[in-house]
Amino acid sequence: MRLLVTGLNHRTAPVEVRERVAFNEGALPDALLRLKSGEGLLEGMILSTCNRVEIAVTCEDKSDPNPSVNHFLSQAHQLEQPALAQYFYRYEGRDAIRHIFRVAASLDSMVVGEPQILGQLKGAYAAAKAAGSVNGFLELVLTRAFSVAKRVRSETEIGQSAVSISYAAVELAREIFGSLANRKVLLVGAGKMSELAARHLRRSGASNIYVTNRTRERADTMAKLFDGKVIDYDKFQQTLPEVDIVITSSGAPHYIILRDEMKRVIDKRRNRPMFLIDIAVPRNIEPAVNQLDNVFLYDIDDLEKVIQTNLKGRLKEAEQAEEIIAEEVERLVLRLKTREVTPTIVGLQAHLEEIRHAELQRMRGKLGALSPQQEEAIEALTKGIMNKIAHGPITELRKHAGNPDGLFIVDVIRNIFRL
Amino acid sequence: MQATSIFWLRVAAALYSVGVLHAMLTVLKRPNKMFELSASAFSLGVTFHLVALVDLAFAAGHLPADNVYETLSLCGFLIALAFQFVSWRYQFSSLSVILFPLVFFMTLVGATEIPVAGWSNPNVRNGWLLIHVLLVLIGYAAVLVTAVASLFYLVQERHLKRKSTGLFFDKLPPLGTLDSLISNSMGLGFAFITMATIAGVTWAFVENGTHWLGEAKVIISLLTWGFYLLMVFLRASAGWRGRKAAFMSLSVLGFSALTWAAHVGLKPLIEK
Repeated sequence: MRLLVTGLNHRTAPVEVRERVAFNEGALPDALLRLKSGEGLLEGMILSTCNRVEIAVTCEDKSDPNPSVNHFLSQAHQLEQPALAQYFYRYEGRDAIRHIFRVAASLDSMVVGEPQILGQLKGAYAAAKAAGSVNGFLELVLTRAFSVAKRVRSETEIGQSAVSISYAAVELAREIFGSLANRKVLLVGAGKMSELAARHLRRSGASNIYVTNRTRERADTMAKLFDGKVIDYDKFQQTLPEVDIVITSSGAPHYIILRDEMKRVIDKRRNRPMFLIDIAVPRNIEPAVNQLDNVFLYDIDDLEKVIQTNLKGRLKEAEQAEEIIAEEVERLVLRLKTREVTPTIVGLQAHLEEIRHAELQRMRGKLGALSPQQEEAIEALTKGIMNKIAHGPITELRKHAGNPDGLFIVDVIRNIFRL
Repeated sequence: MQATSIFWLRVAAALYSVGVLHAMLTVLKRPNKMFELSASAFSLGVTFHLVALVDLAFAAGHLPADNVYETLSLCGFLIALAFQFVSWRYQFSSLSVILFPLVFFMTLVGATEIPVAGWSNPNVRNGWLLIHVLLVLIGYAAVLVTAVASLFYLVQERHLKRKSTGLFFDKLPPLGTLDSLISNSMGLGFAFITMATIAGVTWAFVENGTHWLGEAKVIISLLTWGFYLLMVFLRASAGWRGRKAAFMSLSVLGFSALTWAAHVGLKPLIEK
């Protein structure tokens, strides 16, 4: 059985190429059927996301899957083969297994450790399963990949830390407040980024969202998104003592929250802590505010720094994940080889039994009437001979099941016994 | 000193103790409706306190401020009177958290001017001491928890302020969690240390008669308690939390350690 993975990703191909090769969800069932009907192909799966397209197929040992896959690709996208070839990578056998594992564990992702890819791979598997294009070897590899990804996630901290501005903000808020339940949030300025951050905060339990913006309409639309309340832009400072988290992203050319003012606010709050996130450029909050006790001010660069640290941490975790994957690849390869050995053993035993049975039938007439004891003795004698003959080859097969040259032994034995 | 005067003073102390209970519940953030009750008991206590002082003044023929006990009692009375005035004139009651326990203690100490006969039986004496020690140990455990949580708080706060999400950052609990732990363990510690101090003061008084106040370890214990009271007050009324509160609870640990040392190992050294 041969396994081949052909694909391109964000590193090998620019977006202009990726978007042309991508399969949309609706076209997937058809594409899978066409892929599977390719000459010599047994199974096929297509994973198509914005960052990668991967096509995995299996075929018999003796056939070459490459022409069929190439043909499929050029047909699917009306692309000329030579133009595409430079963007594609191809992995076979052990390397293909390793690649699938790495993709599932999000080691091959643009943002290492991001969790979506596993869901996407599961979706691709489900689509292939529904189209009937996976049913054996490839299925085994894929289901194994899912548990490997799970293992990587639980044994390393690869997905633990935030790597986007809005998640970093939520993570920091958690470090400050513990639970975010019933925290109040004020959005000053109704930009996309603050909307995203507010959405995450909301999901983490923040209750009241106040929105203020120079133009009232945008504040209104934004407030609707979160069942929030609109505050007059001229008077938003009055709301400050009530809120725990402030996100500023207004286009004001000067500071709109000053140190002295925050001092009064924090006194009024009786020192209950506040988290200020300033994602505006130029900044909205005077940096000296961070010197006040119980006030934590993070600007866009600070958040960026947090993300960089987290990313570095992820790469470190990724090294550990690579080790897990190497270990899992070995384990699966071993299992697959044992799978090839077992049918040979069963075949050998069946073959010998067939010979024994046929020969016994042929000679039985010449022996004449026999007592039951004699019948039994003949059975035992012939079976004993066959088992002794089979013992050597079966032991060899079992012994070599795990070795790289195991497949050679299988071939030799199959040839000798004409299986 | 007049025996009847001491009796009235003890009645006053008993009435003031309701206020101590109120203060403890406030610190522990238990919703309590004791303020009305303790304020009335406090007013009644002030009246008996006045009776005791007048009684004593007549017996002595002058203002009773001859020794440390009488001075403390008089001072406590004046503070109580001032509080009565402030709360009547300005409807300002948040001072009660610190003043109720303070007045109670001053009066309690004042009421120990005449030595009592001694322990009715040795079992009572030992039992009393045991209770005192147990209360102290529980109180110290709470102080220790507070101090450790404060230390974590300071480290974590520094990380967040300096924006260095490095070593230990993920391992430490969030500031909010630490702060509520500090607040709870501090309140609990205060309740136990207060009860322990009352038990200790009465034990020392019965044991040593009027000389009990002269001992170094007693003075240090009372100072520790006073400092603890101040911290609890600052937190409850002025909203001291976060870094300042963390530093303060660390220093309470220091005071407690000193008291401990005075009671056990370094006793002879400190008493010199």
